[in-house]
Amino acid sequence: MSQTVIEVSNLKKKYRSSVGRSLITALDGIDFSVREGELFGLLGPNGAGKTTAVKILLDLTRPTAGEARLNGLPAGHPESRRRVGYLPEGHKIPSYLTARQALGIFGKMSGLDNVTIKRRSLELLEKLRIAQWIDVRVKKYSKGMTQRLGLAIALLHSPHVLLLDEPTDGVDPVGRREIRDILRTEAATNGTAVLLNSHLLSEIELTCDHVAVLRNGKVAAAGSIEELTRRATQYKFVPVVPVDDSLVAAFRESGAGVERVNGHMLLTVDDVTHLNALVDKLRASGGLLAELSPVRSTLEDVFVDLVRAVDPGAQQSVEGDAR
Amino acid sequence: MKVLMANIEDVMREAAARWTLVAYFFLSTIFILIFASAINLDIVDGALAGAKLFGKQVEVSGTMSIEKLVMGFESGFSGVLYVLCTFLAIFATAHLVPRMQEKGTIDLYLSRPVSRVKLILSRYLAGLILAGSNVLYLIGSIWMIVAWKTHVLHPRFFLAGAIILFLIATLLAFAFLIGVVTSSTAVSIMATYGVFFFGVMLAGHARIEAALSKEWQAMGIKLLYWIMPKTAELATAVVGFVAGPQVNNEILKVTAAPFVSTAIFGFVCLALASWLFQRKEF
Repeated sequence: MSQTVIEVSNLKKKYRSSVGRSLITALDGIDFSVREGELFGLLGPNGAGKTTAVKILLDLTRPTAGEARLNGLPAGHPESRRRVGYLPEGHKIPSYLTARQALGIFGKMSGLDNVTIKRRSLELLEKLRIAQWIDVRVKKYSKGMTQRLGLAIALLHSPHVLLLDEPTDGVDPVGRREIRDILRTEAATNGTAVLLNSHLLSEIELTCDHVAVLRNGKVAAAGSIEELTRRATQYKFVPVVPVDDSLVAAFRESGAGVERVNGHMLLTVDDVTHLNALVDKLRASGGLLAELSPVRSTLEDVFVDLVRAVDPGAQQSVEGDAR
Repeated sequence: MKVLMANIEDVMREAAARWTLVAYFFLSTIFILIFASAINLDIVDGALAGAKLFGKQVEVSGTMSIEKLVMGFESGFSGVLYVLCTFLAIFATAHLVPRMQEKGTIDLYLSRPVSRVKLILSRYLAGLILAGSNVLYLIGSIWMIVAWKTHVLHPRFFLAGAIILFLIATLLAFAFLIGVVTSSTAVSIMATYGVFFFGVMLAGHARIEAALSKEWQAMGIKLLYWIMPKTAELATAVVGFVAGPQVNNEILKVTAAPFVSTAIFGFVCLALASWLFQRKEF
């Protein structure tokens, strides 16, 4: 049974932008948890509270109420960050340092000895394909290279938890795939829990197992990617021979929604029994079924639907409550 | 210890990369070279027969012993070094907190398993080591030049370095406090220089108090005098310490009070800076 390494419960954060201004609610009681080896995506529009949640986990800012725990310790305890790697969005690695020096300084601050720093630095820079730049100052790096170095710093001390804010920002497509592979390997082989905070939904879809979508400081939806993107009542229905209009009419009479799309149909049904009844009708008319599959939305569809939802207070949860 | 070493490395590398270190030591070297070339002494049988300063003959009354000359020279010169070292040190180190607090940089530091107090104190010590190395360079070089030219070793000159470093430590604590609050290097430098001059001004607090018409104003000035670092009194102490007890001069008499109140000021500033940094949200 894998252990929960990130726990956030009823987390609230309110602040004033300046003295005398009204309170802004950044987080309004969010809950989620991440187990070791899990790749978890935190999504949400700008100002939804994603970065605030991560900053609370790292004690960069404090919650107004609720609790956040890292590696079993309360966020704020320096030891909770012992095995945590963090890549902030728009990070500024001191530009006067070379990659070797930056890794040395941040490695020492993470408690590593010089031998480990040297070994891990070379290993990670090779993996991230910037080893030849090891003695070049960061100010000469491109954005993508800086991002790779930031990831190397986050991974240097073999963290148990990785908190990544837009990790592939500015990275080319090949680099993105490489970073995805590294994250998957870390999760699978070392049991590293990865919390990915990104606007790139396709990236999250390709990388993460589970996601939570934040909206107005609340968890608007949470669950596995498969659960969130499955449209429970819509199916792709592909007969061997296109069905005639009388059968389509019979489907509609049963209450099903029917839409013809490029030789196949999209059926909207009440439930699985209803779906089976339609298949029976096809067979009774002598037709054969070539394919029947549930229609999936993209994560982007789900995200846009959630963000545009009329009631900002409504919470959709696939697994019941957010985990 | 690793955190301190990392911070020292970071501070030194930044100072080197941004030319601060070069400028810092270059200015000091220029000063040392001018000093070395400006003084020409004519010593006969261990006594000073004549002296030239910047090429001009200096009047020497009777036969002055070379030891006395060195003592007088070094004690006077320590006052100049007091101002020079302090100003250079603040200029070279006031950025340490504001730069660290920059968005995107602070996250990298605070996400390490290090308490914030430990982080800021390590950075403070690193800054102090940078400033201390320059003080040692200046004092040590001048001491060696004097020893080379006169063959007189006057170790009390190094006491000046200790007091200068004590004042730098106090003012750097204040610069850190301002840096934590404002995140601005310029404000940190200006405020710290302000405190230096304000301290000098308050040395004449008795006269200011006498000139004030209301008692509460006079009390306010007295209170400020006891709160602020005693920059003028410490300058006198530097000269007095280097001159030594044989100089029977009432002005150069050193008491513990300026040291104690200055140390309290520095300690409170550093404690306050650490507390605010600990509470600060980024």
